[in-house]
Amino acid sequence: MESVLSNLMLGFSVALQPSILAYAFAGCVIGTLVGMLPGLGPLAGISLLLPATFGLNPIIAMVLLAGVYYGAMYGGSTTSILMRIPGEAASVMTCIDGYAMTQRGRAGPALAIAAIGSFVAGTLSVIALMLLAPTLASFALRFGPPEYTALLLMGFLVLSYMSGGSMLKTLAMAVVGLLLGMIGIDAMSGYTRFSYGIIELGDGIGIVPVAVGLFGLSEILLTAGQPTPPAIQRPTLRQLIPSKVEMKSSFGPIWRGSVIGFLIGIIPGSAHIISSFVSYGIERRVSKHPERFGNGAIEGVAGPESANNAAATGAFVPMLALGIPTGPITAVMLAAIMVHGISPGPLLITQEPQLFWGFVASMYVGNIVLLILNLPLVGLFVNLLRIPYSYLYPAILCFCILGVYSVSNSVVDVWIMLVMGAFGYVLRKTGFEPAPIALGLILAPMLELSVRQSLAMSGGSYAIFLQRPIAIGMFAIAAVLILLGLKPLLFKSKDWRDKVGLEEQV
Amino acid sequence: MNGVEPHTPASGGAAHGVRSDHVAGIVIVLIALAVGWQNRAYPLGSLSEPGPGYVPLLLACALAVFGLLIALRAGNSPLFNTIDWSESRRGIVMLLACGVAVFALERIGYRLTMIALLVFMLGVVERKRPLPTLLVACGFAFLSFFLFATLLKVQLPTLGGL
Repeated sequence: MESVLSNLMLGFSVALQPSILAYAFAGCVIGTLVGMLPGLGPLAGISLLLPATFGLNPIIAMVLLAGVYYGAMYGGSTTSILMRIPGEAASVMTCIDGYAMTQRGRAGPALAIAAIGSFVAGTLSVIALMLLAPTLASFALRFGPPEYTALLLMGFLVLSYMSGGSMLKTLAMAVVGLLLGMIGIDAMSGYTRFSYGIIELGDGIGIVPVAVGLFGLSEILLTAGQPTPPAIQRPTLRQLIPSKVEMKSSFGPIWRGSVIGFLIGIIPGSAHIISSFVSYGIERRVSKHPERFGNGAIEGVAGPESANNAAATGAFVPMLALGIPTGPITAVMLAAIMVHGISPGPLLITQEPQLFWGFVASMYVGNIVLLILNLPLVGLFVNLLRIPYSYLYPAILCFCILGVYSVSNSVVDVWIMLVMGAFGYVLRKTGFEPAPIALGLILAPMLELSVRQSLAMSGGSYAIFLQRPIAIGMFAIAAVLILLGLKPLLFKSKDWRDKVGLEEQV
Repeated sequence: MNGVEPHTPASGGAAHGVRSDHVAGIVIVLIALAVGWQNRAYPLGSLSEPGPGYVPLLLACALAVFGLLIALRAGNSPLFNTIDWSESRRGIVMLLACGVAVFALERIGYRLTMIALLVFMLGVVERKRPLPTLLVACGFAFLSFFLFATLLKVQLPTLGGL
């Protein structure tokens, strides 16, 4: 504990430097704006900003991108509550009761509780991250190739089980992502695979064109041409103050949302989205008056908003401690660190203490900045929503091209983005989630290397995966998840997604 | 909204016809077969020393199995012809415009390309009045160039100072 405190002091000495504070503030502002804009989620925002971080030092790059990430979590709630437009997917649940409160003239307290819940959850989960990540990292030093193979395969199964849609479709998309990750030079043999003579493909397909195409461009293709958003309420500072009853009712959901969000955040998958659905489902279940949900229950705002912010922080645990991203957002952030020649993984905390602890401390600072931004300045931010979408989306389109091109000054990357945009559009129209593709792409080299190394270690025997206790444990979890996934098929029972209000099916 | 797509339920489960998952599953199987076919060019190696073609082949097999299962379990998905593609025409126009812009980017420079793209998107696709269209197009092109190329030192293509 003493070492944690001294390390945290080191972190604050980094995070409170004026330049880092300025970038944390900039990240939070950009994130809030990104979160508020329909058509731009945190992933698209981070992907677009990634090239601009290449010239910065790695600590500043991480602080800036993390600010965008949790800023977007905050910002997404504003449009959900005031306009019933979720700026990003994790705010969908906030729409239900948040907008109902707005219709009853209680938009101010809904915004205040969303901001307070996000602040409390964000702060609690940073404390948990600080305590858990170093422990997990030291445990991960025992991992060899078979353990990494088991961990990655388990991760994909957890992702598919926890995703809102079909397990089969999620796994298929993850495999598509893994196959995209096979393009380029094979690290072990030097063979160039699936590049079809295009020199730029020798280095493989980058995460940025794929992520911007699948998430940013496909969203624009889906939403362009929509009618102008409706008129917006702009509550004054005085109208933001919640009543005593509202504060009391929010206390439990904020705590529960923080814990649920953090735990779900560590697990691979669209954690911030799932956590808000799970939190809403739980709050409705534990409530003495479940009939109030959907009609402006403050618990329906406090729980999901706390959960999605806690999940955003929880997702950093495996990213920082194991070097394994749990979703496309952390995958892009991992790319931002790797560009600077830093290898993420269990040794990151000991080899780059300033980066790790500076990043942790900056999250405390970021939470305070966001609380300040989201309460008194909410009226200022909603002005952005007055820009007609017909002007906004062409500008976002240009930003997509600019952002992708500037990663490696390659038009091939922009072509990849366009192809991925069209692909993402078709996927979403046909009920497929594009997120596993981005995750598969970033994890492909690690999975291939660990599989081939494991087989080489064992002289070609797959039994090696069943001879190592940690790997056995992970495969056991994977087997349980497969069985749980099959349960609704075999027994016609409801699975967890139905129970929390998410959709379907195996 | 991002990522959350309203899922159209199957119409009562009684309607017959090709469902979206039938099509998706078959396309996935075809992709897997294409990858498997292309993968012939790379050595598979042995189990104790897997070659560059080993993992792609494993993945292609897994993809084919998932594709088959998706097609076989397509009963709950919506009928393929009920999927609303109404915005696809605008989407295709946007993609084509972006394609032309990508082609032009390194030939006529960043600022001229962005001005042309925005004039097309705002003036032709969105039918905005000429003056606001020109103001937004030029404003975006020059401001974004200043922000990224001048302040953030990102290399952007130029043509004769533009």
